Amino acid sequence: MNKNNIKKLLASNPVARPSYFRRPHWTRRNFFRVAGAGITASFLAKEADAQAPGTCTSQGMTTINKATNVIFILMAGAPSHVDTFDFKNTAGVTPAAAAPQTVNGILWPTGILPKLGAMTNQFSLVRSLQAHALVHSLGQTWVQIGRNPAASLGNIAPNIGSIVALQKAPERQPGHVLPTFLALNSDNAVSSGYLDATYAPFKVDPTTAGLPNTTNALGQARWQEMYTQMHAEDDTLRVNSPLGTPVVDMDALYASGTGLMYDPTVASVFTYSSADSTRYGGSSFGNALLVAKQALAANQGTRFIQVTLGGWDMHVDIYGEAGNKGKTNIFTLGNQFDAGVAALIGDLKAAGMLDSTLIVALGEFGRTPGFTAALGRDHYLNQFAFFAGGGVQGGRVLGVTDATGANILDNGWSQNRPVNPEDIEATIYSAMGIDWTTICYNDPFHRGFEFVPQSLGPDYYNPINELFK
Amino acid sequence: MKKSSLIISSLIIGLAASGILMAIHAQEPVQELVQNQRAEGASTTNHSDCLMFGPQRERYANQALHTLRLGQMTDQVSAIRMATIMSSNPAVSVPGGSRTSSADTSSANLIDGYIFPALKAQGVTPARMTNDYEFVRRIYLDMTGRIPTAAQVTSFVANNSPTKRADLIETLFADPRWLDKWTMYFGDQFKAASTFPSSGTQLYSGGRDGLNTYIRTALTNNTSYDKMALAFIASQGTNNYTQGELNWIITSRVTGGPVQDVWDGEAAAVAETFLGISHMNCLLCHNGRGHLDTISLWAGGFTRYQAWGMSSFFSHVALRNPALDSTVKNGPTYWYADDAGYKTDYALNTTTGNRPARQPVGTQKTVAPNYPFSGIGAMSGLNYRQSLAAHVVADRQFARAAVNYMWAYFFGMGIVDPPDQFDPARLDPNNPPPQPWTLQPSNPQLLEALTTDFINSGYDVKHLMRTIVNSQAYQLSSDYDPAVWSPAWQPLFARKLVRRLWSEEVADSISLSANIANKFTFDNGMVSAWAMQYPEPARETSALLAAFLPGNRDDQPRKQDGAIQQALALMNDSQVMNKLVSTGTGASQSLLGQALAITDNTASSNLLWLNILSRYPTAAEVASAKTFLSTGTRSQKMQELMWTLYNKVDFMFNY
Repeated sequence: MNKNNIKKLLASNPVARPSYFRRPHWTRRNFFRVAGAGITASFLAKEADAQAPGTCTSQGMTTINKATNVIFILMAGAPSHVDTFDFKNTAGVTPAAAAPQTVNGILWPTGILPKLGAMTNQFSLVRSLQAHALVHSLGQTWVQIGRNPAASLGNIAPNIGSIVALQKAPERQPGHVLPTFLALNSDNAVSSGYLDATYAPFKVDPTTAGLPNTTNALGQARWQEMYTQMHAEDDTLRVNSPLGTPVVDMDALYASGTGLMYDPTVASVFTYSSADSTRYGGSSFGNALLVAKQALAANQGTRFIQVTLGGWDMHVDIYGEAGNKGKTNIFTLGNQFDAGVAALIGDLKAAGMLDSTLIVALGEFGRTPGFTAALGRDHYLNQFAFFAGGGVQGGRVLGVTDATGANILDNGWSQNRPVNPEDIEATIYSAMGIDWTTICYNDPFHRGFEFVPQSLGPDYYNPINELFK
Repeated sequence: MKKSSLIISSLIIGLAASGILMAIHAQEPVQELVQNQRAEGASTTNHSDCLMFGPQRERYANQALHTLRLGQMTDQVSAIRMATIMSSNPAVSVPGGSRTSSADTSSANLIDGYIFPALKAQGVTPARMTNDYEFVRRIYLDMTGRIPTAAQVTSFVANNSPTKRADLIETLFADPRWLDKWTMYFGDQFKAASTFPSSGTQLYSGGRDGLNTYIRTALTNNTSYDKMALAFIASQGTNNYTQGELNWIITSRVTGGPVQDVWDGEAAAVAETFLGISHMNCLLCHNGRGHLDTISLWAGGFTRYQAWGMSSFFSHVALRNPALDSTVKNGPTYWYADDAGYKTDYALNTTTGNRPARQPVGTQKTVAPNYPFSGIGAMSGLNYRQSLAAHVVADRQFARAAVNYMWAYFFGMGIVDPPDQFDPARLDPNNPPPQPWTLQPSNPQLLEALTTDFINSGYDVKHLMRTIVNSQAYQLSSDYDPAVWSPAWQPLFARKLVRRLWSEEVADSISLSANIANKFTFDNGMVSAWAMQYPEPARETSALLAAFLPGNRDDQPRKQDGAIQQALALMNDSQVMNKLVSTGTGASQSLLGQALAITDNTASSNLLWLNILSRYPTAAEVASAKTFLSTGTRSQKMQELMWTLYNKVDFMFNY
């Protein structure tokens, strides 16, 4: 490479920007406002306060602003759209057990999604959604960060939930004990990227035993005594350190931890009865949705909950008629999804929380309309997204595909193109009252982190407003 | 180079590098990818076929932010330590022994001969030397993964020998716990895992244990590092359970593509593990130009064709996984590497898989083996893999990468950092790169001198480690006046960076200090009192071990992040709570039992502090403890006092 090229490259990547170490740091007040918001708070990097004036810009879009909370369901492995929410009854392929019926004008696989079939007026579907790539890991990351993981800032991009936690931090109340961003059954959830780990997902796999290590074997009274003594020994260091505020951050881990202890609300959020578990389908997915509903009902600061249901990668024997009999197939997994989500919608509605809670479910892509020799379906770009609550009008289907589900005939929304994962991201932000055109200049490169990518123009990706009107 | 630009450029380089770094993932069968291509039609995306941005993304993001966070963590922990030292009675906390307060900059140690002149040239005053308490705790943790016992602390401090630090280091080399710790360390480096979620490859516990056994045996015999590399790259055999070195090549296996993908994966693993050049992975998908130009002077001019030359050394290898013998219950599912698997060289004939299509270049339909750093191919008398292994260990970069990885462990960051992102064109201090590039190592002469020393020692890992830990540079304190300290001095190693203890170190240090053994049952049936003997990091079996983020040797790195779960674990986990006992079998020997047997509360406090925190309490701490013990039931209050020490902020760091 010659020197001219190097000069040109450097000119396009000027290093004349503030040092990484000279960016504004957190004030103690800000820290405590959000302490408890993530699994990893830190004696680590403190990113610039995105609430600080001048850090972020936006185009001042009018947002939908109807949702207080989001439950984001990642159907990992890529569910078959033509066997579920864009159902196609294919002669010689679709088994009788799928029991297709027309419900509210929609052809519905009542054998696969029975309960949701009885409540189609409670949710809406997007059938013109299209993934960008057909690789599981890439696609799963893509839908969680709402951008190409290989693109600029892609590898340090935060989870959508981390951006929500960041934006909603000012709304946390002093008494709130639950993290803003929960990730249930989502050990592999994308974390907070370049943002402070305070906004990272708090990852829990719910069990009947509840959250581990939130009680002490010596009992609450003695734990309190020990904790007080620890502070007595350490407070000169922890709280009023003559050496400045950084040490205080370490204590925040303990402050957040103790907030989760001996709190009847926390305990009741993370445990559940077997009757409720059964109502949600008796699966770990159902249990996670049940805990999600309990966390939101507790109103203790949680705003965004990611739940993962994997196993949709059905290349072989998708209907469980051959070797997969009794194992995971479209019926068993479809039933799990159906029972859990139907119970969730029912419970949220009964509690008066459905209108303020947006439920989004999608996979990383769809599956081939063509049936393979292995009695399964392979990877395909066309897919679906499921929306309920949070101001979404029920009973709608946006987008039309052809008779086999191979091609999109009508995109079904204002933009003359298929919906992309970035539009789903914009929809979530808009529904929560977050301006999706926001750019924050607190990324390590000071390049400007776009909440929704603007490489194709600031207004290329858009919320699906048609779901809400 | 100015201090500030030094740190800025190294950070930017590190971050930018990870921005385009890649990792391997594939699960799709070939035929399915053919169909995908048809289905995909016109809708394609840059790099989606490269598959590099999925599960291993976390690893690279963590690496990019790691050094910055370490510096901030050191600031904070050091602030805590400073306060402790300022408020403690010096007569109590630094008795006898070496009381050196500043580094002996005329030290004969090879490292010191480069670090201190460099600091002087920059006008930077190094941190003071560690006192004996700081040093003894640090060296036990770094070398054996466990804190010292109270007796080990006090006898070391009381020792007046001028060579006591070097003597202790030799003692620790001979400690079986040194083997535990370094088997874990090299297990991380060589990926001793039973399963690889990012690729779907399984070694099962048998293969993983085989690899661990190989590592442990090599450490026991002080097998030279070049011999280990030769074994990993070129060994042949038919059973990876009994011949542990065979496993390494399988850890980088890739599924869901043509066999060239597998060979590329192996070439990338060789480059990252043994040469510290993870950019090879990118270059196996595309030329450096237009991708890596701003990050690596070398890679910007490197082509995919050249990278194929490296992969081609693997082009005769088949990784075979014999069918299960159904007559043997739980029979072996071992692997073996067969160098007669294929007869032709690396063929340019793919259109699908994990990496972009490989198509003939002009009339060239295959690529012959060619070690891109020397331009030499297969050697007579050696098969392809043996040729590659010979090229690698003869390459100075092999020794340089090894030295730098080891340095990064002991010092928190590499001389080239991140340590796997070497730019071979920016290393030679006698041949600096053209402007505006600068030399990549923070101290190029030091890196070269250590490299030469490592080669001359016969690639002796213990020798390298001994040189490092005996240096004054390593023995500097992490304390530095925060009003004076500049983060730009971090790459000059003007102070020691702290590290958060590993999961296994936390568990073992609790058990060791309480003098109550743990009982861990591993997935291979082995039972041990020590978490450091786990055959791979345990994430499922213990909330405490999981809370300290040990990683999985595949797509999840070992991390130093803090977590709320860490506070919850140290406050409440059974691994802590079941150590606070003075009744039951052997209880009189337990730390609590010993503390209760002493009637004087100052002496009891000293005992607890020395055992758990490897230091005496400060005057304020003693006063607070005595007040606390003066009311209520003494046995209960002593139990509670002991608990507070596991939750004091200096317990979880090696400072």
